[in-house]
Amino acid sequence: MARYPYGPAALVILLIIVFVGPWIFYQESQARKEKADLIFAIFSKDHKDAYTPAIAEFEKENNVHVQLQLVGARALNQRLQAALQVDADVPDMVELLNGSMGTFTSGPLKDIKFMDLTEKIKSAGLLERLVPSRLTIWSSRGHIYALPHDVHPVMLSYRQDTVDKLGIDVSKLTTWAEFTRVGREITNGKNAKGADGGTNHYMIDLDAAGGDFSRVILLQAGGGFFDKDNHVVFDNDIARDVVTWYVRQTQNPGTGAPTRIATAAGWGQTLTQNILDERVLFIITPDWRTKALEMDVGQAEGKMRLMPLPEWTPGGIRTSTWGGTGMAFPKSCRNFDLAWKLAQKLYYKNTDLEKRFSRLNILPPVTDAWNLPEYDRARPYWGGQKLGRLYAGLAPNAPPEIFNAFTPQAVAKFGEALANTGTFYQTYGETRKLPDGTTETMDQYAATELKRCADYIRDRMARNVFLNDTATADAETPAVGGAAEGEAK
Amino acid sequence: MSAGLMTGTSAIPTAPASDARSWWQIKQRLTPWLFLSPYFILTCVFFIYPVFYALVLAFFQTNGVASRKFIGLNNFTTILADRDFWTAMKNTTVFAIFSTCLQLPISLGLAMLLNRRGSRLKGIFRLAIFSPHLVGQVFVGVMFTMFFTPKYGLFNQFLQMLLGWVQGPHAESFLEYRWLGNENLVMPAIIIATMWMYVGFNMIYFLAALQNVDQSLIEAARIDGANSWQQFLNVTLPAIKPVATFVVVMSTIGSYNLFELPYTLLQGFGPNNSGMTVVGYMYSNGFSGGDIGYGAAVGWILTLVILSINLVQLKLSGTGKE
Repeated sequence: MARYPYGPAALVILLIIVFVGPWIFYQESQARKEKADLIFAIFSKDHKDAYTPAIAEFEKENNVHVQLQLVGARALNQRLQAALQVDADVPDMVELLNGSMGTFTSGPLKDIKFMDLTEKIKSAGLLERLVPSRLTIWSSRGHIYALPHDVHPVMLSYRQDTVDKLGIDVSKLTTWAEFTRVGREITNGKNAKGADGGTNHYMIDLDAAGGDFSRVILLQAGGGFFDKDNHVVFDNDIARDVVTWYVRQTQNPGTGAPTRIATAAGWGQTLTQNILDERVLFIITPDWRTKALEMDVGQAEGKMRLMPLPEWTPGGIRTSTWGGTGMAFPKSCRNFDLAWKLAQKLYYKNTDLEKRFSRLNILPPVTDAWNLPEYDRARPYWGGQKLGRLYAGLAPNAPPEIFNAFTPQAVAKFGEALANTGTFYQTYGETRKLPDGTTETMDQYAATELKRCADYIRDRMARNVFLNDTATADAETPAVGGAAEGEAK
Repeated sequence: MSAGLMTGTSAIPTAPASDARSWWQIKQRLTPWLFLSPYFILTCVFFIYPVFYALVLAFFQTNGVASRKFIGLNNFTTILADRDFWTAMKNTTVFAIFSTCLQLPISLGLAMLLNRRGSRLKGIFRLAIFSPHLVGQVFVGVMFTMFFTPKYGLFNQFLQMLLGWVQGPHAESFLEYRWLGNENLVMPAIIIATMWMYVGFNMIYFLAALQNVDQSLIEAARIDGANSWQQFLNVTLPAIKPVATFVVVMSTIGSYNLFELPYTLLQGFGPNNSGMTVVGYMYSNGFSGGDIGYGAAVGWILTLVILSINLVQLKLSGTGKE
């Protein structure tokens, strides 16, 4: 005890500090020595598998070391947000999920921590090569902050043997009106219920809560949450029509004949089982989902087919868009030229894109790449259909999507209006009598709900002092391609 | 040391002796503080400073750390006028009431069953019932998403098997119930999932308390003619009251902090925000919306709500007086 006046425990703690401190310092210094020339953070394992061989080639060609970091999408977004806010270390290049850019561009332009790529994209001739609608996802107030990775046009997938068995002629399903008419016969007609009381077949996979499914329909119909000037528009007539249509397909009315033709088929194993059991006939399928179906529903090989979405309005587009990935470069990027070179190889070099498409089924936004042979390859899983050609044929019509910091709240509010309209329909059907003797239709109710929810977002936006200060704050920011420090040249 | 001082033979040695004594005294005084300093430093850096910084932030609108603007009480007035906040508060309160009222009696009941003498499988059951708590809220959320799936999910299959025969030909089959897609079923689904997770955790507290109940008191009550219910009500319950109060308080705090499980279960906040909790509202506005100041203000309101509820609980239980 005399030798260790504070007891052996204190000595042990002291020894741990003495040894662990230098060890941590040594590890940190070693890690610094081994630091790569570029650090590239991504959130998709499929992308990692596709990029790894291309990056190995790039390293050889340029005699550099690129570190590829795979981080969960939500974790990547939040860690990046926190790190950028406090100017901590961030990767040199990063893949972001659509929608997340809105969070990073919520303040004055000068505060955005990503490089403005507008001029660089123009000078590299990418504006002519890229599908224009894909740049809107990554833009804020006329400035582009990320390179688009994809287009993600949407089709409907189905099992040919099932529709044949049920006597559905898919070539006639050219409008949503016809689609729902057939769907009601299938879902609610004779023999629609099984021995267990459950419905045998649902025409389409739509989640009653809306979510991404209602957004796909909204975009196809020509609607959206914001216009290009960031004004809230999800209370217009298009949104109202989409909400009431969607409610009719996902709910049954309080009074009157049943109208529901949809159920949520889920993801992964549940989706697989729903397809194998022929419980859900048509699946909304953006290009990226075809790979998931090939992997998850292998038993349906050769039976699966793709068709364009039915038209929303006569002569309207027969596709929509769902999802998106983009590559952004933080202003702290250590070697922008090298990072840009790698980005070009991974995203826009035609030979690499051919390999990427065969591996991921994701159509690139570069229109000249669509002429490569891989896009005309017949796919056995899809009964010999040319997957690339089908999606490429629809891709130019993929509608633009506008994102800003209020998009998540706008999506939630749209869902709220949808849910309330659903409750109205489930309770009263198409019309209800008001206490004053007048009637209110579901259309009127949906319009009122959408207006209330859109006004909520308008109030939120009006409250944002940074958005309202934009004119002042942005006056200090040089024009597109100006000489602001850290901006790409 | 003291001998030299006492004899007073020389004034010279007294100075170092006095120095040594004062050094010894300083050392004696400093030592506990040195031992405590790591805790104090960590608490100050990671608790006290953030708490006060959050209070300051609550009066600002922020866009990241660099951009912020003083807006006074605007965050608080906006929150209190926001229908979504009150929806979240209502959801959280409903959850807190139901989960506390259902979970704790079940936990206590299980603890009493496992506290019986002579049960050989006690250890196995204790582990089995406690183990759901070890897997984490996100895992439970993902697992219950599958359990609540229409047609194939465990719950719908079970309900159909149990009650399918009572349904009329036109009623919706139990198999088609959309637990996570129907705003009326979302909260029951969350309560069921959390119950599975936390019943065992609370049971351990009750079990520990029951094992400390003085058996001679129960024996005396039995001799005096008390039946099992009277023994429980008059002997066991008063004996475990401090632990029960602790469990109620902790469950309430936990309920008001609920976030990950419903967020994972519903992949968001569910139809019409029916699964949005106050912490979910804070996350949505503070992190997704990018306004940390607003999130901080929500956090402070939540703190005050929890504090008030806990004070009422302590007052009602009389624990404070004891």
